[in-house]
Amino acid sequence: MKKIILCCIFCALLSSCGSDKEASNEELLLDMADSIAMPHKKIGDEVIGDLIKAIPSPLEISFLIKETNKHYDVSLLNEAANQSTYTSNFSKALNLGIYGTDLGYISLYNHTADAISYITALRDLSDQLGIGQFYNFEQIKRLALNANNIDSLLYLTTRNFEDINNYLYEKKRSEQSVLILTGGWLEALHLSCKIAGKTNNKALMDRIAEQKVTFEQIYLMLDNYNYDPKINALVDRLAPLKAVFEKVSITYEVKEQKVKEVDGVLTFESESESTVHYTEDDIYEITKNVENIRNSIIK
Amino acid sequence: MSEEILKALAQLFAIITKQGDGVTEKQRQYVINNFTQKLDKDSVNEYMAFYDERVGYGKEKKQRADGAVPTKLTSVKDSVKTLAICKKINETLTQPQKFYVLQELLELIYADKNYNEERKQIIYTVSQTFNVAEEDFQVLEKFVLSEDGLDLNAEQVLIISEENKFHENNKFVKLDEHCKGTYLFMRAPSVEVYLFRYFAEEECMLNGIKLEAGDTLLFSNGSTIKLKSGATFFYSDIVSHFLSAVQDVKLSFNAIGIEYRFFNDKIGLTDINVSEDAGKLIGIMGASGAGKTTLLNVLSGSEKPNKGSVCINGLNIYENKKGVEGLIGYIPQDDLLMEDLTVFENLYYSAKLCFGEASRKDIIEKVHKTLGDLGLAHIKDLKVGDVLNKSISGGQRKRLNIALELIREPAVLFVDEPTSGLSSRDSENVIDLLKELTYKGKLIFVVIHQPSSDIYKMFDKFILLDTGGYQIFYGNPIEAIAYFKQMARQADSQSGYCVACGNVNPEQLFDIIEEQVVNEFGEFTGKRKTNPTEWYQSFKEKFSFKPLVDLWNVHINVPRKTSRLNQFLVFVTRDVKSKLSNTQYVAINLLEAPLLAFLLAFIIRYNNTEANTAYVFRKNDNIPAFILMSIVVALFMGLSVSAEEIIKDKKILKREQFLNLSRMSYLYSKVLILFSLSALQTALFVVVGNSILEINGMFLPYWLMLFSVSCGANMIGLNASSTFNSAITVYILIPILLIPQMILSGAMFSFDKINDVVKNKANVPLLADVMISRWAYEGISVHQFAENKFNKRFFTLEQKEHIAQFNTVYGIPHLRSGLEQLGEKLVKNKIEKEDIGLYYRPAVLFVKDYAKLLKLPKHDYEKLDVIFTEINQNNIEKLQFYLAQLDEVLNILYNQTSIQKDKLITALDNKYGEGYTLKLKDEYYNENLAEYVRNVNNAQKADVYEGHLIPKTEYIYFAPIYSHGVLDYRTHFFSPVKVMFKHTLPTYWFNVMTIWFMVLIMFIMLYFDFYARIFDGFKKLKKIINS
Repeated sequence: MKKIILCCIFCALLSSCGSDKEASNEELLLDMADSIAMPHKKIGDEVIGDLIKAIPSPLEISFLIKETNKHYDVSLLNEAANQSTYTSNFSKALNLGIYGTDLGYISLYNHTADAISYITALRDLSDQLGIGQFYNFEQIKRLALNANNIDSLLYLTTRNFEDINNYLYEKKRSEQSVLILTGGWLEALHLSCKIAGKTNNKALMDRIAEQKVTFEQIYLMLDNYNYDPKINALVDRLAPLKAVFEKVSITYEVKEQKVKEVDGVLTFESESESTVHYTEDDIYEITKNVENIRNSIIK
Repeated sequence: MSEEILKALAQLFAIITKQGDGVTEKQRQYVINNFTQKLDKDSVNEYMAFYDERVGYGKEKKQRADGAVPTKLTSVKDSVKTLAICKKINETLTQPQKFYVLQELLELIYADKNYNEERKQIIYTVSQTFNVAEEDFQVLEKFVLSEDGLDLNAEQVLIISEENKFHENNKFVKLDEHCKGTYLFMRAPSVEVYLFRYFAEEECMLNGIKLEAGDTLLFSNGSTIKLKSGATFFYSDIVSHFLSAVQDVKLSFNAIGIEYRFFNDKIGLTDINVSEDAGKLIGIMGASGAGKTTLLNVLSGSEKPNKGSVCINGLNIYENKKGVEGLIGYIPQDDLLMEDLTVFENLYYSAKLCFGEASRKDIIEKVHKTLGDLGLAHIKDLKVGDVLNKSISGGQRKRLNIALELIREPAVLFVDEPTSGLSSRDSENVIDLLKELTYKGKLIFVVIHQPSSDIYKMFDKFILLDTGGYQIFYGNPIEAIAYFKQMARQADSQSGYCVACGNVNPEQLFDIIEEQVVNEFGEFTGKRKTNPTEWYQSFKEKFSFKPLVDLWNVHINVPRKTSRLNQFLVFVTRDVKSKLSNTQYVAINLLEAPLLAFLLAFIIRYNNTEANTAYVFRKNDNIPAFILMSIVVALFMGLSVSAEEIIKDKKILKREQFLNLSRMSYLYSKVLILFSLSALQTALFVVVGNSILEINGMFLPYWLMLFSVSCGANMIGLNASSTFNSAITVYILIPILLIPQMILSGAMFSFDKINDVVKNKANVPLLADVMISRWAYEGISVHQFAENKFNKRFFTLEQKEHIAQFNTVYGIPHLRSGLEQLGEKLVKNKIEKEDIGLYYRPAVLFVKDYAKLLKLPKHDYEKLDVIFTEINQNNIEKLQFYLAQLDEVLNILYNQTSIQKDKLITALDNKYGEGYTLKLKDEYYNENLAEYVRNVNNAQKADVYEGHLIPKTEYIYFAPIYSHGVLDYRTHFFSPVKVMFKHTLPTYWFNVMTIWFMVLIMFIMLYFDFYARIFDGFKKLKKIINS
């Protein structure tokens, strides 16, 4: 008798603790489905996609950096440990870009130990952004165990970076893609400015001034998402930089057409030459503004 | 006797003598005889001279010549002298001894048959000063001085004669027909002394010594009186006539045709017959291995014989347990004392269990009385101590053991070797104690080994067993010796006694029984002259067994049974008291947990921050390991504390089984104490461990789970403890019990990476489901991850986010590539049966499950089943289409939740200040644990099982994927909720309840002694196989 009572109590407990609602993974999502409403954008996603593809990889700047400066300086980079302090998707995406560029910089100098911590930071951030699938951690770990694998490791992460951009674009999260690009570009510009400030390298300064073009594209893209208060705030912060870049002018000089024989076929080649007009003050201004913006992002 | 006392005695004799008409030869002869019994010849002369001087022997003529001396004057003087002498004697002699002195004085008077006033006066004074009970004195006076017994008139007198011509107040027993004479016995109840006189012409022997008619003699324990004509009076028979209690107790104990076989089919007992009534002390003797203890167990009902029956008052003790409840008592050979309790407490709690319904005062009184009766009063506050750490002597221990049973006064008492390991004096004491009990009407069976002559004589009957459990004798002890001597054709076979000293030699018995054949060189051959069967046969021939008539419907009062609640309370207080008095035990149990917690937590407090800043909980990689270790510690503590519990009490339980105590109450008490201890230990552990590791806000959940684990371990320990009979066995067993708990906890080895035989693709393997550790580890981990102060706010959002993400990233692509393969096979017409389960069904089920998200028109939704019954290209395309659509919807959902989560963080940071969520995360969220519960490092992300798409990652976010029915509790590891009876329960609570369910099952198993029964079953099976 006692046991029966005990059993009853147990069952009662069991049922009182539970809820009648059926737990299924689908139900959970259902209440969200109704509230789906996409905000209005000025530019269509396809245009953004084209724009994203047109933006040069930040790594291109890195090579120039290495040519002009043999000295590896880790203090220029965003600390990998900062990764865990980014809480919003906005800052996660921007810093994902920044770390991507930083990793490129590190790879130029073959610093394995630093590379691994940046890869980890990249992986964690992308995981939190729901793009962790691009980082096969088992594979990365295996590669990271051996310093000789650094090349393949870098290749993998760089390729991942492109894949991520594509994926985000496909998955209608182009704003994250744009933010990642922005971060990467900003960090590349920041590094260039820092090094240009030290070396006064003309070629590097030219490149910095030339970023006016990329900046305008990025600015345009960011402005497209100004319904997001954070992105809007970023656009506002970019305004002074925009003003500086406006001082920079690029002139294109179209030269006459040349006929060339390539592999036995006659081809026309039209060459155009661009010239950047800027003052050293402009570069200084750019450096100052970029640093401000970049520091506000990584903090 | 000391010189002083003898002198005093001589003086008393002299004073008495003087009060008459001077000393007579008869009186003087009596005094000489009296001293001769006590002294050697030289001393007799010395004391006689002293006596003669006092009475003026040899000077009487001169005195007479002086003329009559006024006797009264001397009488006053003598009275004063008497008083002084008696006071001196009072200081030395015991009450029975003083009684003998009084009897001797009276006998001195009987010698000249002149009982004048003066003598009366002196005798009376002596009696008064000796504090002899008035009643006893009066009876004694008449008994010693009586000429023929006709003037006797008292209950304390027993007369055995041819016909009853005596006063009806006396007890009377008719003498056997062919005998003659009058035989008088008296009992002095105040001192328990028996005296004997007889008037007959026949020769009469007391313990083999010839007696004079009319002499008063002490009839001591175990004495026998034999008449020439053949009648024998045994001490016990005589005594039983006096003791009204014996006559009040109506008891028949009949054990008939007992045969017992051991498990291995070896014969334990063969054809044993015992029939007794109340007030007997029965000895069981036999060579070692003859089955003495087995017989005791069978007679007491703790072993059931294969043949025959044991009935008390007609009630079969095996079949009618209820009827004989409380009648039987058992005192095993070993100690059954609670070593950490005092003598008083041991007896007190035992009494409480028997008389639980009596008042506390009554019980204490009873305990004090029993302790006093057994001479234990002065040591009542000493701790009993164990064998190595003795504080009371072996004899005292034994007496206390007996006291435990004695206080209950069972009608039939079984005692196993009460004298082993005791000095001969202690042995005598103990048997004497048992003998006294028989006077109260108890029937007592005692297994005894090598009794001394005195002890041997105290028994009323002996059962002799020979190898193979043969009953080779059953009857009077002295007769036993005579019988065996006769059988062995020894000289002097008529008498069992040594004629000179009245001693018997029980060892003779075994010398005869086991006598060996000697070869021609005078060496023993190892072959017995008479084997057990022959002894058994000849016993059967010589003695016929007549069982007593069963006394049906006789009720023997037993104390009212203690209620279960009271039993429980006694068990609890007794156990707690016993534990608390053991300081080592208390200290270790209380310090163990915090010490381990400190050691563990201190060592694994890993500061994983790059810049060596302050410790951050979020970054400590050791939290999952800490959870596992906490569980292991809880299991360990719970097991080790309980492993010995029941074994320790086993002997006590064996005795208490005769009290018919409730096993439930006993187990409840164990459970209550152990659970309380577990609660305390785990609380200490969690307090220390969690505070060192800064596991914030998780005290109660950790504690409750670890407490449950510890209770589970307690139950495992108790089950083991009740199954095995030595603590060492159980301690050896601990690794076997614990290691599987670690292996299958899910913490050390992922359930995804184990042997396929054990593994289940979708759920936790069944083998792991019987492990307490797995439920606890999952419960704590899930709770720590999902319910911590930080994640609590985001968990539902994250759940949506991750479910959507998993499906778009891994789930749908997996299904779609499957469908592609299926499409290709369809083209080649190569579809096999398993392909349906692998590729087609999962896709169909997935679409069905998530169909609501597609917002299909209702009739389309309902038709899904019908549409997808057949595999064809069209359906595959349709599925691909739906999946693509779902992919899109889920992606939007993901984006939405992601944005919502982002907004929530921003809102929180705005509300509580910048960095609030980050701080919260640092303090409450653990990254490594998150990796474990999300199973992010698993290479395989999605799989198909039983036609369902199964996630192999993000475990913590997925509710059970599918269910086999209302009773299917199974889920994947780290599922956030569990479903049972269509109710959804958070995993933590479900797991806590599961552990308690296991505890309940184990308690039931413990109650029915499940494992011990299984072992018995094995033994029986083996027996069947062997035969």
